[in-house]
Amino acid sequence: MSKVLIVDDEPHLRLLYETELRRAGYETMTAGNAQQGLEFVETMNPDLVILDIRMAGMDGIEALQRILERDNSIPVVLNTAFSSYRDNFLTWAADAYVTKSADVTELLDTVHGLLKPEMATGQ
Amino acid sequence: MSGPDNPALTPPDVAQLVAASLQQSDMALVLLDRAGLVLTASVGAEKLFGCSSPELLGTELALLFTEPDELRKAAKADSGHAASGVQLEVRNDYGEVLPVDVKASFFEAPKPAESDYCLLLIRDTRTRQHEDELRAARLAKLSLLNQVSEALYGAQLNLDQILQAVLVCMTAGQGLRFNRAFLLLVDPKTESLQGEMAIGPSNADEASRIWRDLAHQPSDLFEMVTSYDQTIKQTDVAVNEIVRHMSIPMNDEENILIRTMSEGHVRGVGRETDQPGVETLRHWLGCHEFAIAPMCTRRGPVGVIVADNAISGTTITDLDLEFLQMFANQSAGAIENSRLYTELEQRLSDLRTAHKKQREDQETLLKMERLSVMGETSAIVAHELRNPLVAIGGFARSLTRGIEAGDPNRVAATIIVEEVSRMERIIHDLLDFIRPPKLLRQALVVDEIVGQAAEKYRPRAEEAEIELVLDLQAGDLVVEMHPGEIQQVLQNFLINAIQALEGPGRIEVRSRGVEGGIWVAVADNGPGFDPESVEKLHTPFFSTKPTGSGLGLTICAQIIKAHGGVIEAENLSGGGAEFSFILPLPKPEA
Repeated sequence: MSKVLIVDDEPHLRLLYETELRRAGYETMTAGNAQQGLEFVETMNPDLVILDIRMAGMDGIEALQRILERDNSIPVVLNTAFSSYRDNFLTWAADAYVTKSADVTELLDTVHGLLKPEMATGQ
Repeated sequence: MSGPDNPALTPPDVAQLVAASLQQSDMALVLLDRAGLVLTASVGAEKLFGCSSPELLGTELALLFTEPDELRKAAKADSGHAASGVQLEVRNDYGEVLPVDVKASFFEAPKPAESDYCLLLIRDTRTRQHEDELRAARLAKLSLLNQVSEALYGAQLNLDQILQAVLVCMTAGQGLRFNRAFLLLVDPKTESLQGEMAIGPSNADEASRIWRDLAHQPSDLFEMVTSYDQTIKQTDVAVNEIVRHMSIPMNDEENILIRTMSEGHVRGVGRETDQPGVETLRHWLGCHEFAIAPMCTRRGPVGVIVADNAISGTTITDLDLEFLQMFANQSAGAIENSRLYTELEQRLSDLRTAHKKQREDQETLLKMERLSVMGETSAIVAHELRNPLVAIGGFARSLTRGIEAGDPNRVAATIIVEEVSRMERIIHDLLDFIRPPKLLRQALVVDEIVGQAAEKYRPRAEEAEIELVLDLQAGDLVVEMHPGEIQQVLQNFLINAIQALEGPGRIEVRSRGVEGGIWVAVADNGPGFDPESVEKLHTPFFSTKPTGSGLGLTICAQIIKAHGGVIEAENLSGGGAEFSFILPLPKPEA
């Protein structure tokens, strides 16, 4: 079962993504800030990271760089309310960029697509 | 030093002094006694009667007149009264009969024993006629100058018209009566005196025709100046050809034209005149005699007028020159005035333009500032709203999955989902608007792009019983564009039109090649929009639709603007609304 790490400082969004991803058959873990997210990447070996950009403290872009420096094989999905960050070349290093939406289909499809080779287990 | 012994101060014999000065007078004066015999005759009288003073003395003057009785009557009028002039005729010693005007003055004898005297002042009326004519001519010219000044200053003439007026006055029968006139003006740019304009016939035939035409001209110079264009302009080709050749550098100070201008006095050039530049002028004009009048104002020389009587050969008189000078001065003033006026007008118009531009810039700046502040605020608000909306909408979605169909809670949850997605769309629009359109342009056939965009909406239109008509006539004209964005604009127009119709109707999509660009329009036959809202159409958040976010048209305007085009919204005279834009054609490679 693939492990998805959700890094977002909005607790309700963490809960929503957790719910939806679990329903889709993924194992999830959540972090409320970038620092904690990095620690989990280090210690829990997630298969994919969903990373918010605008967070208090370290932002998602810096977190993305740190993750890639450590292990650039982990797929990272940037997930943000700011569609305009897509124009920032620093975000281009991520594997995908999904604008936040109440309809999480796009996010789920993206996660599916990135984890396809390993295939999500369970259901 | 004077003193009582000075002989000069001795009182002269007054009677003798008067008699002596009477004798020396150029006027024809004759003193008669009561019998009408000549007592004294002046030099002027000797000339008039053609005989010497001694010959006249003691003769009866009346006998020298063709009608002696008439003179006797005049000389015997009541003493003490100066008789008014009497018209008589004199037969002089050369046998000529001269018309004269006789005025008699009477002096009573100081002593009763002595007889009275009669002093006759006899004037050759021919001389007088000549003087009168001269006076009348001066008067006429003065009144002409007055007319000229009215013509030049009175009407709001531009410089060209003033130059024409000057030339018309120079040659008109009611004017200075020169055959031809040439106007040369100082050109500060080339530092030369440059031939500008001329008037006059090129030969005698033409002259007689013009003069015949001119006989039917209005006698008023003012009217004549203003009606000049239609009547004689076409005959001035030859003289204008001449004047165009005239060009003298200002530093050629010896040249007669430059000299006349710097001296500031009118000059008549006769056959014998030989000065630098005269021969060239004769060559240009094709005649030997002409007049040159400088045109000067306080600000300096303006130019010269050269005038001649090349066709009629009439001599240029001193009187002509005198008036030419006065006229030239007046013309100089008018020309200078007109130039200053034009200069002033130009400056005023420059100022107006600058002022208008400044005001427009200010307005644009204000608008942009407002938009920018709005944009920033909106961006922050939009983003802040997005997070909670995602949570609300996301959980509402998951709720709907857990509630059985038919359960009222499911309806409620569905409403939350729909409303949230509407809010998300508004935010999406907003953020689209804030992000300036980025263009990766391609040269594309406009009609193809427009056609594709319109066809996408055909099913939706048919569903609403709307007839979608494509009238694309831009041919294969190509425009540099970002196709997605242009289609977005068209989609916006089409959705607007479908929504405005609210049911069956007709939508026409048109395209045409226009000057420098391509015009594309979407017109409907719906109710049109409230004219008051036209101005607001470009303001963000303004919407004529109750459900719209009001950002659609603003985005469209930004996209078209980024393409270098213009966007337009208007109500059609036959009803309905039309939204259109013009995209510029690519500039041809230089």
